Amino acid sequence: MKKGKQQPISYAKWGYIFIIPFFVVYIIFTLYPQILTFYNSFFENYKEGLTQVGPNFVGLDNYIQLLSPGSDGTIDIFKYFGNTMIMWIAGAIPQFVVALLLALIFTSSRLKLKGQGFAKAVIYMPNLIMASAFAMLFFSLFSTVGPINKMLIDSGILDKAIDFASIKITARGLVAVMNFIMWFGNTTIVLMAGIMGIDEALFESARIDGATSTHVFTDITLPLLRPILVYVMITSLIGGLQMFDVPQVLSKGVGMPDRSTFTVVMYLNNYLGGSKNYGMAGAISVILFVITGILSILVFKLMKKED
Amino acid sequence: MKKAMKGVLAAATCLSIIGCGSKTTETKSGEEGKVFNIYAWNEEFKGFFEKYYKVPEGVEVKWTIVPSDNGAYQEALDAALTNQANAKDDEKVDMFLAEADYILKYTNADVTQDIKALGVTDFSNTYQYTVEAASDSNGTVKGVSFQCCPSALIYRRSIAKDVLGTDDPAQVQEALNSWEKFDAVAQQAKDKGYLMTPSYAETYRVFSNNVSSPWVDADKNLQMDPQITAWMDQAENYVKNEYTLTEGIWDAGKNEQMGKDGKAMCFFGPAWYFNFCMGPAHDEKTGTIGDWAICEGPQAHFWGGTWLLAPTGTDNPTMLADVMNTFINDEEVCKNLIVNEAQFTNNQKVNNEVAADANYKSDFLGGQNDVAIFAELAKNIKFQNVTIYDQYMNEGLQTNYVEFLKGTVSKEKALDNFYKYINEKIPGIKTPESK
Repeated sequence: MKKGKQQPISYAKWGYIFIIPFFVVYIIFTLYPQILTFYNSFFENYKEGLTQVGPNFVGLDNYIQLLSPGSDGTIDIFKYFGNTMIMWIAGAIPQFVVALLLALIFTSSRLKLKGQGFAKAVIYMPNLIMASAFAMLFFSLFSTVGPINKMLIDSGILDKAIDFASIKITARGLVAVMNFIMWFGNTTIVLMAGIMGIDEALFESARIDGATSTHVFTDITLPLLRPILVYVMITSLIGGLQMFDVPQVLSKGVGMPDRSTFTVVMYLNNYLGGSKNYGMAGAISVILFVITGILSILVFKLMKKED
Repeated sequence: MKKAMKGVLAAATCLSIIGCGSKTTETKSGEEGKVFNIYAWNEEFKGFFEKYYKVPEGVEVKWTIVPSDNGAYQEALDAALTNQANAKDDEKVDMFLAEADYILKYTNADVTQDIKALGVTDFSNTYQYTVEAASDSNGTVKGVSFQCCPSALIYRRSIAKDVLGTDDPAQVQEALNSWEKFDAVAQQAKDKGYLMTPSYAETYRVFSNNVSSPWVDADKNLQMDPQITAWMDQAENYVKNEYTLTEGIWDAGKNEQMGKDGKAMCFFGPAWYFNFCMGPAHDEKTGTIGDWAICEGPQAHFWGGTWLLAPTGTDNPTMLADVMNTFINDEEVCKNLIVNEAQFTNNQKVNNEVAADANYKSDFLGGQNDVAIFAELAKNIKFQNVTIYDQYMNEGLQTNYVEFLKGTVSKEKALDNFYKYINEKIPGIKTPESK
């Protein structure tokens, strides 16, 4: 019997076929709009009432306008970028700390907590609420005639209502707290997945060798969790830089007090909403893109270096 | 899992592409569309429409309601109107509502059409200003208003009695017919533990309606009319002296003042305001029904008003014209709007009849005939010095200026922030902050 010449079966082909849909979707819905944004940022293109103005090519005019200082000598976009970063960091630090703690507790083979499923569902819950609805809730809770002020006055702690949304620190604080509440559950789940991916044998042998919990954490968990931590931080950073709905609703769209809760995307939204100013909005997007890119690389490099 | 997700996504994409590709095969016949689409920013007109307009058989009315804050309603409307030519018949906007603050933007563009051509021709009973407001620069009428909105000073009878010694509208008017007198009474009210107004912006419309120049001049320079600066000074003065609160006109903290425990004496607004926007006052238990009355106040003005506009490309022109005619010329409907809904209609004949009717009285206003007062005030309304940017200007100034009133920023800074807001929202306007 003669065997036919055996063709090596190439499964690689199927791999490529299966990832085609992703690239098609990516190109249509992400890459193409991205390129368009770049393109639009070089044009004067907006609506005046219902009349279309442009598109007229204006070169770098939109960027020059964005990056030239105002009457008070500050460059607006960097101020709003600063606001965004402050509010993100104020929310992100407790978010990572609490999430890491919870992830450790939930995955601990020594604690073996009961009712874990329930607890995980509960901490994830705030993430399911629409951010704007969540912000509206806080807006009502903390308004001058809201329940928080009523409670504080009734219990004698305050004698006059505090306008939380009009004080820089409380207004920013509220935004940070909301971001924290919405996202710590999500981060916990991701970190748990990371910790569970670490070989259980490592923990066991460490314990047999007499390592304390602190040692196990600093010498085994943390180093092996680093890739996941980098991932969580970068996604959180990108999400944070795009902060919009929470401060928008809480500050009635003007970023009060004194534009201190005004974020870059709210700035972008002011241009885009109403006059459909694609030129300026495009330029802001490009600047935000560049900043996000630089910061992401920085975080990535910093985390890698410690290896 | 991830791959499965991608598969689903891809399948969905393909389907939607196929979906878009299939041609709609609807043909236009002599019959009118089956769906009547109405765009509005609140439920007010919807209530009247559903109660008093008999929708032709076989037609379904679809409402799209988007709140107007931050120009959200205009944005949604613009998107729909720009897409009007490409939309399927059942999705075309058949009628939309607009406010005085931005009506010009739509009447001056070709997204609206001549309603006289559609069969709305009788304006003998409507108030002239409502027709002017709905006309483009050539005088073509493109919509009608179902209400006339002279705005009055709405005061709490019990507080007026305590402060002025009377709650009679004529005497209260005598005591408050100029800003000097108004300021003096504000101090008296404060001495008795009351607030003159519930919001720093309560009197805004009284001033802004009496400007002698529009917000933006022919060269697109933003200009502050003396009336606007007069309001800014008054607001500053009133907050400093605690005659008023730093609550916005729509804030919960202001609305609280309408209830039994409210301390504010003077509100300003037209018929729609005290009927539709003074919820806490209307509450059976904690409200203040009957403890109110109206008079002209320091300056004649109007506020808002809802116009029904005719979009170009509607597939229900007959029904559209019928709706418009019903709400301005059907005397029974207009009468019902006054008697049942406490509206002041856009039909002078019906208004004057009710004004002269000794039996008509408003329970909310403690038995006063509000229509009689409004019929007088309506004579003084002028629609002038209006621009397409007014909503952004009015809202932007109030929300930014209040930060100064609260003491968060200096006056200059508050105005800078207002200019910034305007520069962002409306390109091409020259403000002191423009680059």
